[in-house]
Amino acid sequence: MRRLHRWGLVLCVAALCACASGPVDKASTAARGPERLLGIWVPDAAPRALLMADGKPPPLTAEASKLYAERRQRLAAGDASFDPTTWCAGPGMPRILTMPYPLEIRADGNRLAFIHGWYRWFRIVDLSVGAVDPPLPLTMGFPVGHWESDTLAIRTVGLIDATVMDASGLPHSEQLTLTERLRVLPNGRLEDRITIDDPENFTRPWETVLTFHRDAAARVADDVCPDRMARGEPAEQLPGQTKAPRTTSAAPRAAAVAAGTAAAASRLAGVWEPKTFGFMVPNAPLSGAGQDIVTRNAAAMQRGSIMQTAWTSCRPGAVSTMTMPREKIVILESASEVTILFEMPRMVRRIRMNGSHAQQLEPGYVGDSVGHWEGSTLVVDTLGFNGYAELDARGQPTSPQLHTVERFTPSGDGSSIDIETTITDPEYYTQPFVIKRSWKKSPARHPLEYDCMENPRQEDFENAYYVRERYRPICMRVEGEGMAPSKMVCPRPE
Amino acid sequence: MRSDVRSWSMLPLVLAIGFAGAAAAHHSTAEFDYTKQVTINGTVKEVQWTNPHSYIQLLTDGEGGERIQWSVEIGSPSLNINLGWRKNSVKVGDVVTMNLSPARNGKPYGTLRVLTFADGQKLEGVAARVTGPLGGPPPAAAPAAPKEP
Repeated sequence: MRRLHRWGLVLCVAALCACASGPVDKASTAARGPERLLGIWVPDAAPRALLMADGKPPPLTAEASKLYAERRQRLAAGDASFDPTTWCAGPGMPRILTMPYPLEIRADGNRLAFIHGWYRWFRIVDLSVGAVDPPLPLTMGFPVGHWESDTLAIRTVGLIDATVMDASGLPHSEQLTLTERLRVLPNGRLEDRITIDDPENFTRPWETVLTFHRDAAARVADDVCPDRMARGEPAEQLPGQTKAPRTTSAAPRAAAVAAGTAAAASRLAGVWEPKTFGFMVPNAPLSGAGQDIVTRNAAAMQRGSIMQTAWTSCRPGAVSTMTMPREKIVILESASEVTILFEMPRMVRRIRMNGSHAQQLEPGYVGDSVGHWEGSTLVVDTLGFNGYAELDARGQPTSPQLHTVERFTPSGDGSSIDIETTITDPEYYTQPFVIKRSWKKSPARHPLEYDCMENPRQEDFENAYYVRERYRPICMRVEGEGMAPSKMVCPRPE
Repeated sequence: MRSDVRSWSMLPLVLAIGFAGAAAAHHSTAEFDYTKQVTINGTVKEVQWTNPHSYIQLLTDGEGGERIQWSVEIGSPSLNINLGWRKNSVKVGDVVTMNLSPARNGKPYGTLRVLTFADGQKLEGVAARVTGPLGGPPPAAAPAAPKEP
């Protein structure tokens, strides 16, 4: 216990030293007011164990202290399975702020987005007035914020108790309320001063401080945790284990602060939900190779197998959001980027405005998107897909030759968006074809969550047909016999 | 408590479900036989309020007195909220009766249609709402589509 505290203290002291002596980022100080918070930030010291601002351990209740001690013992023995991130499930708050991954803060109107570098997680901070009444607890909760001069104050409730607060297993309950105060310090660093109030686990509210710095080279990547685990890497890459995650796109992006600058007029910004759910793309002009795959998939289903696709294996590609819209999306516009945040499947799409594709693109699940306005229609051209995506529930395939052109047209009264997508993929389709989907304005202040990796049940994989070998599960929940609890099993790849 | 295994083997009921053709292409619907119903009762061992699907582990007594652990899928949290559930609607130790559509593999596994508490209160599962064509408009209370992938 003493060693752990000393370790956390060292990290915190290191963070404070970094704050005091680090270089001042010119870009971050050029902007004034709330704009200073926008852009990409990198943690100074991602602490494995949260400590109070004065370096002392948190004031745990006796019962919580017992649970925490038990977890620390398990951790010392190499068992971190109390932490859902070990099987790529949601880190929750404030755990995700303790991970050594960059985060980006974007803004549009009454809404802020915190986009994290670990496995596509994001949280939406609603800046409109009024308390929230969470319909269900989420890993990222329901954050509501307001500005106090240059400080952003965020209050978050509705946090699910299945997560831990840090990598050492610091517990919390669903009574947890987080109050954050974020500001840019005179030395250019971002400070997040967090008050933690959870009477079920702590004898009194306590405060911890996390700091972040600018790094011109840092990017928030399209990180896909199960792919990293399949390569034998840990779910959470710590500094020194591998190179830090960077963008998957070879195309340059606008400077961090400029990326947060508001668009002249947001035409698509807001929370939207699909007018219809779609699972099928009928009448796609399949080539012989495409038809062979669909026939093979159908035969497996006829045999009673459960078909596992990129969608079901928690690696969905952007094209699946074009063909199978589900649940809410949040759109933020800036002068240089339109950002689309998807609730289900969880994904972040970035559309670089008035840009062009690089000659060489590193293939990825979301591809490389550039956009421009044609009158009131946003036209988005996307290349650079990796071929690991199916168009629908029949498993209609895609290849790295996939090319999509989406036309987003908002209605005159701003209540809906019609989206017409032209799909071209000569590997599997004989000619381009068009699908149409529509979104309607949602009254919701927050999207909900879809944590696809939360509970990979053994039953789902016992009679599975994997459309691609990549879609095999990394971890499975195995039920215990009798009164023994279930447990997550993550065999190391061979 | 005894699980009503007779309903499992002797009283299969055919449901009127409207997505038969398209459903065959969906992995979750392939797992379960929506043309059958099983009724079991027992004690809740574990509640997994999780994505992509939530589960209740129910301990029942077999006809020979042996203990049988059923895994009953109850949909994703966001779908369940639309059906009137809350995270703590069902608790460990609750004694409940569950009417479900069983897995095709014959194991003690199914997807919930209706859960009934000891006091007669009921909660509906997604399988009870499996109607309407895939791709159609979602109803106000719950999606018409059978399940998300």
